[in-house]
Amino acid sequence: MNHVELLSVLLLVPLAASLLCFGARLLGSAAHMAASLVHAVGITALLVLAMFAINEVMTAGALDALDGWVRVDSLGAIFLGLIGVIGFITGLYSMGYMNHELASSEIDAGQLCNYYGIFNLFLFTMLLAATANNIIMMWVAIEATTLGSTFLVGFYAQRSSLEAAWKYIVICTVGVAFGLYGVVLVYSNGASVLPHPGDAAFWTQLFTHADTLDPTLVKLAFVFVLIGFGTKAGLFPMHAWLPDAHSEAPSPTSALLSAVLLNCALLVVVRFYMLTVTSIGPSFPQTLMMVFGLLSVAVAAFFIIAQRNMKRLLAYSSVENMGLIALAFGIGGPFGVFAALLHTINHSLAKALLFCGSGNVLLRYGTPDLDAVKGLLRIAPLTAVLLGAGALALAGVPPFNVFVSEFMIVTAGIRENHTGLMIVTLLLLTVVLAGLVRMVAGTLFGPAPEAVQKGETGALTLAPMAILLVLMVVMGVRAPTTVTSLIDKATQIVLSGGARHEARVASAAVQEATVENATPPAQTAEQAGRQ
Amino acid sequence: MDGSMIVNSLAAVLIVTSLAVTAARNAARAAWLYALQSLVLVAIFIALAAAHGADELYWWAASAFVTKVVLVPAIMLRALASLPVKEDLPCVLKPAWLVLLAAAIVGLSCYAVSSVQLALVGPLKPALGISLGHFLFGLVCIVSQRSILKQIFGFCLMENGSHLTLALLAYKAPEIVEVGVATDAVFAVIIMVLLVRRIQRTLQTLDVRELTALKG
Repeated sequence: MNHVELLSVLLLVPLAASLLCFGARLLGSAAHMAASLVHAVGITALLVLAMFAINEVMTAGALDALDGWVRVDSLGAIFLGLIGVIGFITGLYSMGYMNHELASSEIDAGQLCNYYGIFNLFLFTMLLAATANNIIMMWVAIEATTLGSTFLVGFYAQRSSLEAAWKYIVICTVGVAFGLYGVVLVYSNGASVLPHPGDAAFWTQLFTHADTLDPTLVKLAFVFVLIGFGTKAGLFPMHAWLPDAHSEAPSPTSALLSAVLLNCALLVVVRFYMLTVTSIGPSFPQTLMMVFGLLSVAVAAFFIIAQRNMKRLLAYSSVENMGLIALAFGIGGPFGVFAALLHTINHSLAKALLFCGSGNVLLRYGTPDLDAVKGLLRIAPLTAVLLGAGALALAGVPPFNVFVSEFMIVTAGIRENHTGLMIVTLLLLTVVLAGLVRMVAGTLFGPAPEAVQKGETGALTLAPMAILLVLMVVMGVRAPTTVTSLIDKATQIVLSGGARHEARVASAAVQEATVENATPPAQTAEQAGRQ
Repeated sequence: MDGSMIVNSLAAVLIVTSLAVTAARNAARAAWLYALQSLVLVAIFIALAAAHGADELYWWAASAFVTKVVLVPAIMLRALASLPVKEDLPCVLKPAWLVLLAAAIVGLSCYAVSSVQLALVGPLKPALGISLGHFLFGLVCIVSQRSILKQIFGFCLMENGSHLTLALLAYKAPEIVEVGVATDAVFAVIIMVLLVRRIQRTLQTLDVRELTALKG
C-alpha cells in the first residue's frame, strides 16, 4: 500500500463505518448487532492503519497525499496516534457503556445506530483536522468536529444536555469563526507574497515562505487563530462550553472530546504558532501562549477544588491540562516543546481513563454528584481501583506518566528563566492535586448507598480502563523509544521555524555590521573631498 | 466614482444592514434583512471583479447568491414556520447603543488594519477595516439576542465579514476555497436550526434566559 492509498483508506474507514452505522437502522431487529459489528471493525481498522501510518512516518518521513491537501509529518503523527489509540479504546468502552444504556431502556436500537454513526463521523472529522495540510481545510475540519459532535453532546435530549449542546455549538462555531478569520488573513497574506498564489492555502508552502509574510497581518492572524482554535482547545476564557459539553455528553464521548478533540484544535494552533514564530520571532506568540496557558491553569485549579460534579471536575481538569500544554509551548525551547507534546499524550491517556471511570460510576449510581457517590470500593472494587489510580496519576503522582511531563514542563520553565512563573504553576498544581485527592477519597471510601446495585459493570467497560492504566504506567516508568523518538522529531519540526527566524535576524545583523564597517571610509572620502 | 470607491461605499452599506439584522424585531424580519445584506455582499464581489478584472469573483458572487441570499434565509424562514411556539424576543440593546458599538468597532478595526503593507489592499483599506468590524459586530449580535434562533444570524454576520476579507485580500483564490467556506456555513446553519427545533420541542421556548440549568 503506497502513501496515497494508506492515507486515503485511513480517512475513508471511519467515514464508511459512520455511514454503515447510520444505515444499520434499516435492519430492524438486527440493527444493534450490525451497528456494533461495523463500529468494532471500524475502530480496530482505524487503530491498525494509524499505527501503520506512524511507522511509515518514522521510517520514510512525512507522508503526502491528494496533491498536498493531506499530510502526516512527525508532529501530525502524534495526534494521529492519539486518534487511533483513544478512538479505539473509547470506542470499545462505548460498546460496553451503550449496551448498559440499551438494556436499561435509556436509548433504543435506532439511537444506538445513530450514536455509533456520529461517533465514527466525529473520528473522521478529527482525522481530517490532524492530517490537513490545507489551512482552509484545517478550519473546515475543526468546524466539522463541532457540527459532527453536537448531537453527541445533546444525545440524551434532556433539558440540560440540549442546553450544553447549544452552548457548545454557538461558542465553538463563533470561536472557530475567529479561527476562520485568522486563516483568511494568513491565506490572503500568503496569496499576495508567495511566488504561486495558489500555494497559499498549503501550510507547508506558507511555512517555507513564512519570512515573506506581512508582520502586521501575521500578528493579527495569530491572535484570531489563538482565540478561535483556542476556544475549541478549551483555553480560558473561551472554555465556557467545555464543562457543560463534557458533563452532559455520554461518558465515552466526554473521553473522546477531552482526550482527542481538544488536542486536534491545539495542533492547528501549533501549526499557526510555527508560522508566526518563523515570521516575526518567538516573543509575541510565546507570550500569548503563556498568558492563556497560565490563566487556564489558574482558573481551572480553583474550579476543580470547588466542584461537586465528577464530570465537571474532570472537564475543568481538561482546561487545566490544555493550559499546561499551552504554557509549555509558550516556554518554548527543546525542553518546553518536548514536554508539551509528551504532556499531550499523557493527559489524553489519563483523561480517557477517568471519563471511562466516571461512566462506570454513572452506570452504578445514576449521578455524577460527588455528594452521592460514596463507597465505590464496596460497590465496584475494580472500577474503584482503576479510577483511583487514574485520578492520582492525573494529579501528577509518580510513578505515573503525568508526573513525568509536568516535571519536564517545570524544568523547562526554570531552564528558560521563568522560575517565578513555575513556582506559581507548582502551587496551582498542588491545588489541583488536592481537588483530585479529595474526589478520590470521597468517592472510593465511606459507606455505600444501599440503593446502589453492587458489582462491576462488565468486561467491556473495565478492559479499556485497565489498558489505559497500563499505558500510563509504561509511559511513566519507561516510555517506549518509538514514542520518545517521534516526539523528538516533532519537537525539531516545531523548533525549526524559530531557528530560521534566528538565522535571519543574525544574517541581518551581520549585513548591518558590514554596512556600518563600510561607512567610515566612505565618510572619510567624503570629508577628504570637502577638505 | 472609481471601483475602489464603490466597494468602500458598499462595505459601509453592509455594516448598516448588519445593524438592521441585529435590531430586527423578530427572526423573520432578520432573515429578510440578512438576505438583503448578502445581496450587498454579492454586489461588492461583482464590483471587485469589475475593478480588478478578477473573473473568479463572478463565481464567488454566484455561489454567495445561492448560499447566502437564497439558501440560508430560506432555511431560517422554513425553520421559523415549523416552530410550534412563536415568540418575538427583541434585542436587549437599544438601536442607539448598537450604532455606537458598531461605530467604535469599525473605528478600531480600521485602525488595526491601517499598518497593513500589502500592495493589494491600497485604496480598499476602509473596506478591509469594515470587513473586520463587520466580523466583530457579529459577536455583538449574538450576545445581544434573547432568541436563540436570532443568535444564528450573529454567526452569519461574522461569516459574511470573513468572506468579505477573503474577497478583498485574496480574490484570486481558487473557487474551491470559497465554496468550502460557504458550504460549511450552510451546514452550520442547518445543524443549529435542527438543534433549535429540538430545544423548542423540549423546553417550549427559544429564550436564551431559560437556558440556565448548567452553572459552575
